Amino acid sequence: MSKVESIDHKVISGISANSGIAIGNIVCINSNRRKVLPKSISETEVDTHLKIFKDGRSALLDELSGMLDYLDEQSGSIIDTQKQIVLDSEVEKRVESLIKNELLSSDFAVYKTFCDFIERLKESGSELFRQRIVDLENLRDRFIDVICDDDNSFSVKKGTILVTKELSPTELVSLHAEGLSGLVMEKGGITSHAALIAQSLEIPCIVSAKSATSKAFNTKGVLDGREGVLILDPEKELLDSYKSKLKKFKRAQKRLLDNINEPSETKSGTEFFLSANIEFESELNQLKKYNATNIGLLRTEGLLFSNKTAFDEQVWFYESVLSATEGSVTFRLFDVGGDKLNAKIPEEANPFLGWRGIRMLLDEKELLETQLKALLICAGKNKGRVKILVPMISVEEEIIALKAIIEELQNKLRNEGIKIDEKVALGAMIEVPSAALNAKNLAEHLDFMSIGTNDLTQYTMAVDRGNEKICSLYQQQHPAIWELIKITVEAAVKTNTEIAVCGELAGNVLGACGLVGLGIRNLSMIPNAIPRIKEELISHNDSEFNELAESFLAASNTTQIKKIFEDWRVH
Amino acid sequence: MIKKKITIKNSSGLHARPSAALVKTASKFSSDFFIHFYGYKVNGKSILGVMTLAAEHGAELELEFDGSDEKEAMKTITELIDNKFGLKDE
Repeated sequence: MSKVESIDHKVISGISANSGIAIGNIVCINSNRRKVLPKSISETEVDTHLKIFKDGRSALLDELSGMLDYLDEQSGSIIDTQKQIVLDSEVEKRVESLIKNELLSSDFAVYKTFCDFIERLKESGSELFRQRIVDLENLRDRFIDVICDDDNSFSVKKGTILVTKELSPTELVSLHAEGLSGLVMEKGGITSHAALIAQSLEIPCIVSAKSATSKAFNTKGVLDGREGVLILDPEKELLDSYKSKLKKFKRAQKRLLDNINEPSETKSGTEFFLSANIEFESELNQLKKYNATNIGLLRTEGLLFSNKTAFDEQVWFYESVLSATEGSVTFRLFDVGGDKLNAKIPEEANPFLGWRGIRMLLDEKELLETQLKALLICAGKNKGRVKILVPMISVEEEIIALKAIIEELQNKLRNEGIKIDEKVALGAMIEVPSAALNAKNLAEHLDFMSIGTNDLTQYTMAVDRGNEKICSLYQQQHPAIWELIKITVEAAVKTNTEIAVCGELAGNVLGACGLVGLGIRNLSMIPNAIPRIKEELISHNDSEFNELAESFLAASNTTQIKKIFEDWRVH
Repeated sequence: MIKKKITIKNSSGLHARPSAALVKTASKFSSDFFIHFYGYKVNGKSILGVMTLAAEHGAELELEFDGSDEKEAMKTITELIDNKFGLKDE
């Protein structure tokens, strides 16, 4: 970074929207978006203009649908939303009224309609919503291009780094097909649609780069997505260092995919297990893609939300999950607050400190017993593969009470002559500080423990991550969290209890390395995190991980921990 | 006509995708659906209308339904908002 700053007259900086390095020729487009002037039409032209609007709308919808092939699910849903906006009934009503009643041309009618909505959004003063303005302006301009049959699109040569005021998702996808290697935009935030699509297409991207189009000129350049800088006309030394970085990056990417089929072992030969967090059936096909045998966390709340809690419906869902893999599946019992159960239950003042998880389940016997019975029957049919995980345990009594219920149900099933798994594994989420601190006593009753770092962080740091004013305090990598994890691991070792981590920390490279350093071998994460975690874990030996974990525990804040990790990684 | 007050619970508020989900669901009902917020009244079946409310986490909206299936519509929309639009917050 210091190298870059010293020559800041040739550097354009912004906010990193997607990491990665691009080296190529800069093309700078410094055009202003079109201005559409009011044009009056005669009464006889009204029908023609109504038709132009409708035809333009279907052409734009076709264009948007055509993009879906290029995109992953998340970016695809952006396009779906754009289609919905184009088809908006209010837009139709207003445009048609402007054409019919005010006798305005179709292009201006569309322009004015969108501008009215954009103005309202501008007035709202909310930063998150302001980012949507760029997206709406892009959609408006594309709509008008299509109506006027103007081809305002431009093409780029392979390897080009584009500097522009803004770009619509449609334009970005078509430029990507032509070989765009990097993107710098003056407008837009990291959640603007173009930025999200850049992430999906893996194009290095910088946003909010102030006056980039007036500073940039057409020359050779290096875009460092992670640092959020575009270096114009770099000196040879700098260029060479980026060339080798880029080479390394590309090699790493290839290795990442090759690694999927490699054995999961650290350099010292210690085996580790990366399993998947799954919530919906639609995610099950990712297990094969990322070579995950076990599901380390199956969320079952979806059944509650979609009202599929009847015994048969549950069995059907659990069986379909079990049939998607040969490995084990850790089923977490319904993890919700009581208000999700019944709209009549009044909202609590502090729902996250309230009647939820096991606290609610022990009171709602029928709900709990139906779920347990469904799981126990599936366990009987799939011996050794069903694990039951209990959310929100804060005291030992909760586990004792639950175990008694499970035992009773098992006895009943046995007496009815139904096949059961005598050794069905029972585990607790360690997500409340009291559970972590008391883990050695809890573990006596358990087959396994799974640390949920998301809630553990929320409860330890006393932070609601959804609250924008304080969300920076939501630090999963804070030394206090590492300390609680260490205490839990020690309890697991002492009682010979299996230990896993299923929170976000496990799917984070820094987190995974530290957790392995503490002796944890089972990490469960969103499936697409598996390749990069595996890449890191097979690249170091056990003593390196142990040293890392020890320095984490010795650190006094999260900034230090991040620094320690960066140094450790390049070392 | 029936009305109901409700609080937006998902962290990103009535953003593009939650708005899309809301409008999609509302459009399944024949009843008219309006949202009142800070003196604005918008058509709840219009995604641009809903988005331009810029309703953030914690915003208190008043929902208004009018039509033959208004009760069913209110129940479904309320559940959708309470369930944070079925989108994962994390």
